[in-house]
Amino acid sequence: MSDKIPCSHCHLEFSEDVMIRDGEHYFCCNGCQGVFHLLSNEGLDGFYDKLGNNKLAPPSKQYEDSSNFDSPAFYERFVTLNKDGFSEVSLVIEGIHCAACVWLNEKALTNMEGVIATNINYTNNKAKIVWDDDTVKLSKIIDMIRAIGYDAYPYDASLQEQKADKERKEYYTRIAVAVFATMNMMTIMVAQYAGYFSGISENIKHILNIGEWVLATPVLFYSGWPFIRGMYYGMKTKTVNMDTLVATGAILTYIYSIYITITRSGEAYFDSVTMIITFVLVGKFLEVLSKKSIADTLDIMNHHLPNDVKVVVDKKIITKNVNDVNAGEVVIINSGERVALDGEIIHGCGNFDESSITGESEPIFKNVGENIISGTVSIDADVKYRVSKDFAHSTMSNIVALLENAMNNKPKIQQLANKLSEYFSEVILALSFITFIGWYIYSSNFEQSFMISIAVIVIACPCALALATPVATLVGLSIASKRGILFKEAAQLETMANADILLLDKTGTITKGRPEVVKEEIFLSFHKSLLYALLLNSKHPVAKGVEQYIFEDDLDPLELENFQNIPSQGLSAMYDGKMLAGGNAKLMRTIGVDVSSSSENSEFYFAYGGELLAKYELFDMPREDAKEAIEKIKKMGIEIIMLTGDHEKSAKKVAQMVGIEKYEYGLTPQDKAAFIEKLHENGKVSVMAGDGINDILALANSDIAIAMGNGSDIAIEVSDVVLLNDTFSSLHDSFKISKKTFTMIKENLALSFIYNGITIPLAMAGYIIPLIAAISMSISSLIVVGNSMRIKFGYKD
Amino acid sequence: MSSWVIGMMLGVSIFLGSIAVVALIWAIKKGQFDDSEHFLNAVKFDGTDDLNDAYEKEQKVKELKEKKKEDLRKKVYKPE
Repeated sequence: MSDKIPCSHCHLEFSEDVMIRDGEHYFCCNGCQGVFHLLSNEGLDGFYDKLGNNKLAPPSKQYEDSSNFDSPAFYERFVTLNKDGFSEVSLVIEGIHCAACVWLNEKALTNMEGVIATNINYTNNKAKIVWDDDTVKLSKIIDMIRAIGYDAYPYDASLQEQKADKERKEYYTRIAVAVFATMNMMTIMVAQYAGYFSGISENIKHILNIGEWVLATPVLFYSGWPFIRGMYYGMKTKTVNMDTLVATGAILTYIYSIYITITRSGEAYFDSVTMIITFVLVGKFLEVLSKKSIADTLDIMNHHLPNDVKVVVDKKIITKNVNDVNAGEVVIINSGERVALDGEIIHGCGNFDESSITGESEPIFKNVGENIISGTVSIDADVKYRVSKDFAHSTMSNIVALLENAMNNKPKIQQLANKLSEYFSEVILALSFITFIGWYIYSSNFEQSFMISIAVIVIACPCALALATPVATLVGLSIASKRGILFKEAAQLETMANADILLLDKTGTITKGRPEVVKEEIFLSFHKSLLYALLLNSKHPVAKGVEQYIFEDDLDPLELENFQNIPSQGLSAMYDGKMLAGGNAKLMRTIGVDVSSSSENSEFYFAYGGELLAKYELFDMPREDAKEAIEKIKKMGIEIIMLTGDHEKSAKKVAQMVGIEKYEYGLTPQDKAAFIEKLHENGKVSVMAGDGINDILALANSDIAIAMGNGSDIAIEVSDVVLLNDTFSSLHDSFKISKKTFTMIKENLALSFIYNGITIPLAMAGYIIPLIAAISMSISSLIVVGNSMRIKFGYKD
Repeated sequence: MSSWVIGMMLGVSIFLGSIAVVALIWAIKKGQFDDSEHFLNAVKFDGTDDLNDAYEKEQKVKELKEKKKEDLRKKVYKPE
């Protein structure tokens, strides 16, 4: 449209009359204007050239005081000193949209006196800042980030993330070396095999062997180091594992091949050394690839609680850090603020959003004498309350502590392949030893017996075994992600396939999470614009539900006067000298309209000038595909239980609608977690699906946690599986895919055992020649990979 | 073909290849593959201004480092 012009800072378009004019520039708000002038003063206006056609979010101006970034407690937790004596902190920067934003942040910060380096990751918006604490304080740096229109909060990078990062890098380098050596080895092997068939001079063969020796050495001792280390620890604890088999096999083959090379007798097996290590290393790497960090989750969680509160001391209001407030002090909460400490209201009343505790989106009205809980949000209440528990003992802190505990002690179900490989390794080592003894008794030739016993270990190639699980899960993960199901770790597919019980949250998971009109009764016909105008002024979910229901294009919101929001009753306003009222039965009685019928649904009455015009019944309906999907999941033999913080009546109704027989109602977050704990004690594997902050404890406690895609950030963070398209049928799909993948893993393992069952007896009898060893090794790995691809074809539909 | 030719060719090719591998490992260790977008976007913001800025920043960091060292030295030798 021609009458809309873009804001000079954020580039969002508005009509001219609402914009602030400043010379030749136009701004949509003071925030944008402020940032624009700051950037031109600092000589950073090049930002706008780089921004191009991108649009920004206008900077919001409400920030808490940055001085808490300078507190010793903050420094102790997040700031580290590097070896030059400079301070380092890791921050997540909010509000970054494009590359120009990163450029601006980096530039603005490095231009500051005392800042040594700023490194912002384009992909995840995480920043590492190095600065000289004697020259500039961290709070000044944070102030700068906020001044240019972004916000930052710290995260603890030193824990899991950094460790996982380092581990990944280490694997990359080990694999780079292994793959390089294997590929070169293959070219040499072409010459070797050609020579094996058509004859090769002893000298050239010797040189090729030495070349192989050079290539195999770094693979065994650098790339293969994790296996050697694993074998060492295994020996210390007297356990045999896959590492033992790989390491002993590779080392013995290596020594044997050196012996062959030096004495110039027979065939060297350096290629087997590199191949085994490369394959198994890649398999292991696939499993390490995605490990999520616990630290991040807790940081987001802590970010959800305010750092300081307003305390009344001697009739004056002072701001105190939450940790310094004791039980018995009086705290003020204004509308829109989050409650940090538990307490009892002593003055004022209003609505609170308790969805973080109960999961219900409907606000709850609280009056003097009632308890308010930390983690809830005041919607319209300005109250004074007496603190009953200090911060460390308040509900939300308790939940954070329990969450940390639960995530650190997440039950680990040992994977099938790992379990089997233990037995497998023991059996192979034993067989090799028996072969040696047997051959030595039979032929009394030490050298020959030794060679044959090594051949048993070499041929019992663990490649196929090591690849069986990772390849199948990788295929499973890719199918899942195409259908909008995100598994965060490969191993979870296997755990999920073994699940006995599915636990479902009600509001937001089974249901849509917002009430919808299910019944409309019109007593007197009226113009919808009247009701629409009234509803536009409210954010209450019931009002929103009705608004959505009556919305048509030609509705024209009328000008209302004297609008009033009556807590826990409804809305009223004046139009044309008469009173408009919309709300529950209580409101109708107050204004003198007689309503009697009471239904089990939420009701919304609409009256004009003392006459009842219409009545709407609303209910939080289950998702359309819920019933069908639940039936299908039941057919798989999985028990379904619904856990909800809601009361019995609506729990029962929803359960009946979707066909769930078992349900538990009126549960607190801790109750849900305890319920899952009890299932664990009975040896059940449980899957929990939820969406809200009230579910996170239960999610963290369950074996597999599934979050709905539109759930709260924290629920998604805690979960192992995220249903991105937010439908119930993908819940069913995720069970189906995991079961199918697990079947595939079992098939792969069976195949690799069949292969070993054929080749090991041959090796024990002394019939294995190098060519057969090499070919059979590759074929077994190929079969495993090929078999895994079959899952893909089963999912064409 | 005498066998030393093959030996030399083998040696040279492995040596050349290993240079590439060492370079790759060095890049991984330095974190060049940590942020795939950084590399692509950095090209867009390349110009004389940015070069000058980078130079100034280097100077600034050098100065700060010197100062820090000086401070540390003072701290150590300060007679109490």
